[in-house]
Amino acid sequence: MTETRTDATLTRTGRRGSRGPVNRDEVLLEIKDLRVTFQRRGGPATAAVDGVSFSVKPGEIVGVVGESGSGKSVTSMAVMGLLPQRGSKVTGEVLYRGENLLTMGQRQLADLRGSELAMVFQDPMSSLNPVIPVGLQVTEVLRRHQDISREDARVEAEDLLRRCGIPDPRRRLSEYPHQLSGGMRQRALIAIALACKPALLICDEPTTALDVTIQAQVLELLKELVNDLGTAMVMITHDLGVVAGLCDSVNVMYAGRIVEAAGRRELFAHPRHRYTEGLLNSIPRLDAPRGEPLQPIPGTPRDTIAWSKACAFAPRCLHADDECVVGDLPLVQLGRVNHPVRCVHPAPEEEPHG
Amino acid sequence: MAEHDRSAALDSAAGPVRSLLSVRGLEVHFPIKQGLVFDRTVGHVRAVDGVDLEIPQGQTYGLVGESGCGKSTLGRAVLRLEEPTAGEVIFDGEDIAKLKAEPLRKMRRRMQMVFQDPLASLNPRQSVQSLLIEPLRVHGLAVADRAQFGADSSASHLAKVVSMLELVGLPRAALAKYPHEFSGGQRQRIGIARAMILNPDLVIADEPVSALDVSVQAQVINLLERLQDLLGLTYIVIAHDLAVVRHISDTIGVMYLGRLVEEAPSDALYERPLHPYTIALMSAIPIPDPVVEDRRERILLKGDLPSPANPPSGCRFHTRCPFRQPTRCDTDEPALRELTQVAPGRRVACHYAEEILSGEVRVRDADLLIEPVR
Repeated sequence: MTETRTDATLTRTGRRGSRGPVNRDEVLLEIKDLRVTFQRRGGPATAAVDGVSFSVKPGEIVGVVGESGSGKSVTSMAVMGLLPQRGSKVTGEVLYRGENLLTMGQRQLADLRGSELAMVFQDPMSSLNPVIPVGLQVTEVLRRHQDISREDARVEAEDLLRRCGIPDPRRRLSEYPHQLSGGMRQRALIAIALACKPALLICDEPTTALDVTIQAQVLELLKELVNDLGTAMVMITHDLGVVAGLCDSVNVMYAGRIVEAAGRRELFAHPRHRYTEGLLNSIPRLDAPRGEPLQPIPGTPRDTIAWSKACAFAPRCLHADDECVVGDLPLVQLGRVNHPVRCVHPAPEEEPHG
Repeated sequence: MAEHDRSAALDSAAGPVRSLLSVRGLEVHFPIKQGLVFDRTVGHVRAVDGVDLEIPQGQTYGLVGESGCGKSTLGRAVLRLEEPTAGEVIFDGEDIAKLKAEPLRKMRRRMQMVFQDPLASLNPRQSVQSLLIEPLRVHGLAVADRAQFGADSSASHLAKVVSMLELVGLPRAALAKYPHEFSGGQRQRIGIARAMILNPDLVIADEPVSALDVSVQAQVINLLERLQDLLGLTYIVIAHDLAVVRHISDTIGVMYLGRLVEEAPSDALYERPLHPYTIALMSAIPIPDPVVEDRRERILLKGDLPSPANPPSGCRFHTRCPFRQPTRCDTDEPALRELTQVAPGRRVACHYAEEILSGEVRVRDADLLIEPVR
């Protein structure tokens, strides 16, 4: 047996010398005014992401919350450079350690992806290759980014699967994705993402396809990772419960723009944007008294107006009036520190929600 | 006739509320076939393996559990969309499990289902009008209407369809549209309208909101509650989201590997879950409030659901149970029993429920317990 990389805890030692010790104050990823538009030939351009900015520090978990169509997944795909070249246009800046990922060459980006930037996708069945054994899919990443022999990669892959909570990892290495349960597939996917100990991990709804008890296991695993490694994490989800337990700060997206951003305690205690407030009032809570009807947000996430004409949430908002018909509402600080809101009639500050 | 008498006797014992549905010893086993020429049965998946429950008229019974626990199969077996292997499903005095095809078809008018994925359960080539009239046709309600409206029964159908649409909150203009033209929430409303148009007694909703956007879920939940008040419906709501189930149910049954492990009024279940699985399940559900999240003590379950083809011996949960005791758990199968002494009205399938309640039996492995963080 070779003795390489059998350290019990994940540490950053033994990496290529490019990265120093983790500095938790440096900004690792900074997204500035990111815009993604999709256009079919001859058709109108649709802005899926419309000027999104936020930053992530090492050891920090930043949540991006929104419903389907809010642009949260497109944001993550754009950051990783995974959007199709044709038909989509990405502008703005995505600075990773000061380098713009959007203008970086394909080869350079391919070196970063998988080693320093990693992503966990929502549906493990469609993001794992069904005709290749799980083990090979893990070792592929290791062999691509590290100078490591096939035998060593196999040992390391086994170790990774074990640390991600997959029992009997040696047997699992030679199995195919369909032979694994949903929770195990998701853990295999996380193992692949963690293979090279990335500095930034983007999780796109990593637990949506899982049962709650398995979800709790996976979230606990991710939390440990951030604590032990100082990995920076972007958590994309529609589940406010996951955000409440996991994220340090939260960005709420609606129709391609961030409508509210705050620390998690601040956001849940004092939601200011009417959409955030509506969301919190509309979900049934396990610990709330029963018997009262929920207060739904009327309409559907599709009922939007272009941001250039008015507030996109106005058609569904109970507080909307003529003043809301203003093009390009700014994201402004309202009273509290570090709590920008994009709303004409924000919820009053003293009013507790619920 | 004998069955009528029996259910009447049962009702008087249960109290003034009439039980609309009672399920006794229900089992649904699916054979596992193997072999190229001869399909040999090599085993059975015990999807539902001995479930007893009573649902009083006008109440909502919530079934929760993780995927693969048999909750959907149980719901389908109640409507006999799956053929039960054993047991009785007594709906309003008649055993559905033994009904012949024609009486069953007639009975189905009174039992309807709302499916999870409205796009998959609505025929994409049928307009809303045609979708909603079809159940009326199938159940020959045209004949009854003809006596009232003469030959022009389609007009009365249309009137029914329009009033149903109004009830679920869709405009009349929806009649000529096709399912793909609607949003997810509207599609689910069409699915609900289709189930309700026959004026059923029992509606089984299998994950009615899990395919919908968060902001739309509340609309559909409120609609289901309003229709229940209006039409006096009895619901079985099947969902994996305990918060949704707790919100709409009067009683909740928690399933694990084909069996009910706990049954309780929904408030009591949240106040004090008694079965170790329920305790772990509740603690795993994230609550959208950081203050609560940080203070909560949580229990992690290790591993995955065992295979229902080969359930563990003794208590089915003992392989993952954080409270497992050295004796009995892996040998004796606990019965679902009412805790008359400590918690009347609640049924639990655990040998040590009383000890867990009193705190005598604790989580055995400190690793499984996640202390409050901040």
